[in-house]
Amino acid sequence: MHPRTLLAVAAAKAALTACHLSGRPGSSLPGRAALKIDPHIIAPLAAGIRRGIIVTCGTNGKTTTNNLLCSTLEAHGYRVVSNRLGANMLEGVAAAFATSGKRPLGYPDADFACLEVDEASAARVLQDLHPDCMILTGLFRDQLDRYGEIDLTMKALEKAILEVPDMTLVINGDDPLTVYLAKKSAHRIVSFGVSEKISNEEDEIREARFCENCGAPLRYDFYHFSQLGVYKCPSCGFCRPEIDYDASEVRLSPQLSFDVKEPGTAPVKISAPMTGFYNVYNILAVYSVLREMNLPADRFNEILRGFRPQFGRGEVFHIGDNNKQRVLLNLAKNPAGFNQNVSAMLQDRSPKDLVIVINDNAQDGRDVSWLWDVDFDRLADETIRSITVSGLRAPDMQLRLKYVEIESERAPSVEKAIDTRLADGSENLYVLVNYTALYEAHKYLEGLQK
Amino acid sequence: MNNNPGIELHSSDYQLNIVHLYPDLLNLYGDRGNIQCMRMRCKWRGIDAQVTECNLDDHLSLVSADIVLLGGGSDREQQIVCTRLQKIRRDLRDYVEDGGSLLAVCGGYQLLGHYYDTADGRMEGLSLVDLYTEQGSPRLISNIVLRNESLPDALPYEIVGFENHGGRTYIGSNTPFGKVLYGHGNNGKDACEGVLYRNVIGTYLHGPLLPKNPHVCDLLLQRALYRKYGVSLTDFPALNDSLEREANKAVVTRFHSPLAP
Repeated sequence: MHPRTLLAVAAAKAALTACHLSGRPGSSLPGRAALKIDPHIIAPLAAGIRRGIIVTCGTNGKTTTNNLLCSTLEAHGYRVVSNRLGANMLEGVAAAFATSGKRPLGYPDADFACLEVDEASAARVLQDLHPDCMILTGLFRDQLDRYGEIDLTMKALEKAILEVPDMTLVINGDDPLTVYLAKKSAHRIVSFGVSEKISNEEDEIREARFCENCGAPLRYDFYHFSQLGVYKCPSCGFCRPEIDYDASEVRLSPQLSFDVKEPGTAPVKISAPMTGFYNVYNILAVYSVLREMNLPADRFNEILRGFRPQFGRGEVFHIGDNNKQRVLLNLAKNPAGFNQNVSAMLQDRSPKDLVIVINDNAQDGRDVSWLWDVDFDRLADETIRSITVSGLRAPDMQLRLKYVEIESERAPSVEKAIDTRLADGSENLYVLVNYTALYEAHKYLEGLQK
Repeated sequence: MNNNPGIELHSSDYQLNIVHLYPDLLNLYGDRGNIQCMRMRCKWRGIDAQVTECNLDDHLSLVSADIVLLGGGSDREQQIVCTRLQKIRRDLRDYVEDGGSLLAVCGGYQLLGHYYDTADGRMEGLSLVDLYTEQGSPRLISNIVLRNESLPDALPYEIVGFENHGGRTYIGSNTPFGKVLYGHGNNGKDACEGVLYRNVIGTYLHGPLLPKNPHVCDLLLQRALYRKYGVSLTDFPALNDSLEREANKAVVTRFHSPLAP
């Protein structure tokens, strides 16, 4: 092993200890320390992974998909390197590798590496990391100030894909943008999708009304949400691929269940204690990877039953006397994600209170125009008793609601917003936050649960 | 044209026709919030606002239009629209010269001019206003605060928004929409943002523009009502804009400190 690599690993581990001593998770900083010493630290460390490397890219669903994959592999006794907290830029990936070894200068001792990777960092990360498999969950407008238009995100991902010619792309076949992107390369493609119509909701904001290939308007048999659905270009023939892992008989409540069909095999029933249609895709992505890599999938339902969404991705807290007050925390950071969160919340027909926190720090995106692309009119629902708004852009959020004639209150902090509603006796509280509010909200709710 | 099914009808003597051009292509950055803002501020005053979405394949007629919105899209989408718009250039020109209200945001603003020169070549504009745009680097991305100096009565407080554009626009001797107090503006050099020409407002401001700038929304409504009926917006019930003003002021205070030079 090169002495520089050893030194970089040592620096990362020292930085991690320092982070832990100061009460921080240390998901990025150790990576930054390691990269300063060895800018290509990821390559030698990744080379030691024994069985396989899987990366997850896409606008929404990265953390849930990646964490479910990790949990599944670990349940089968494999050792996994991962960035579960969602630190998904170069530093985060470097930190995951450099700090995973047990001994002070130890290298990762792992069978698999499962990493979620930010779209803008993907090309740089994949220069050094050669995954066997890349999951593409789907592409939506997100943080336009940081990524630019969605076309630029696609260009960045295309560059990343071309870095690793022999990896398999496991893609959301219902998304024409993802399919177009994947088909541009000569990579092996495996697709998952949902071939039956599930929803009658028609949200308005869609990317890709037009064929990426020829510019003609795409024709849809139906939409699931955003631009996902069953589509075809009448002009050039670009269309939804034959789906390799196809979900049908989808039920969204009281929990998710569906059948997965593979060509030539009997359907497999899958059920999970989660809600939200988008989670069907996250589960399908993981299932597809397991099958493609010849990994055990027979205990998948049992693993799903034990899977608890973490880090504010649909995470549930039980608070108060007899844990009677249920709080669900979810990240909602772009129009597609927010609309899906609203759909999942409205599936629950019991009375509820809602807290929305919108910040505009660099990681959130400085531009909050996207709030106007969310279908907030759907919050005028009789099960929603109150809406409390907080965050750096609370006035913008309140104004957004005013223009669909929905009243809201303001709270000076996320803690105060949650406290007020719990003090009112709310037994069913939904907390929807964007990125930088997630950490405080999560920490606070964890504290309340204890 | 498709009539948007979402709008309410009010029994009212006053009716405004709002035309949203190509929302299927030009719908970046919450631009539909501008439509929602105009629609609600009409509704709350008892003015009947009809919104028509004109998509790429629809036939466009501006004969009964009172306010037209041209939004922004990605460069690729803008190119598609640009080709289409050339066919109705004369209609748009007649509408503008007749005092029709037009709000053009970002990509739509660039299309108002003679051309937009990019590394990939020249995109011909509509030449409705004497201005032109050249691609520059880096993109100008920022919160932005403006003060209008040409219509101080109509626009009595700051205009706030978010800009994100690669193009540098030069408006020559035209009147800018506002003077830049914080942010970049048309080209990052001359401290001007946007353009005012007849009843056209061209601007790079997203946010979307109108909700946090109700004075700009009301200026558009005022001009349209006056052109159509000869009445003033002040003849209608006043609205409580405290939340709008607060959201506006929050941006001004945060980014343009009065103590800054």
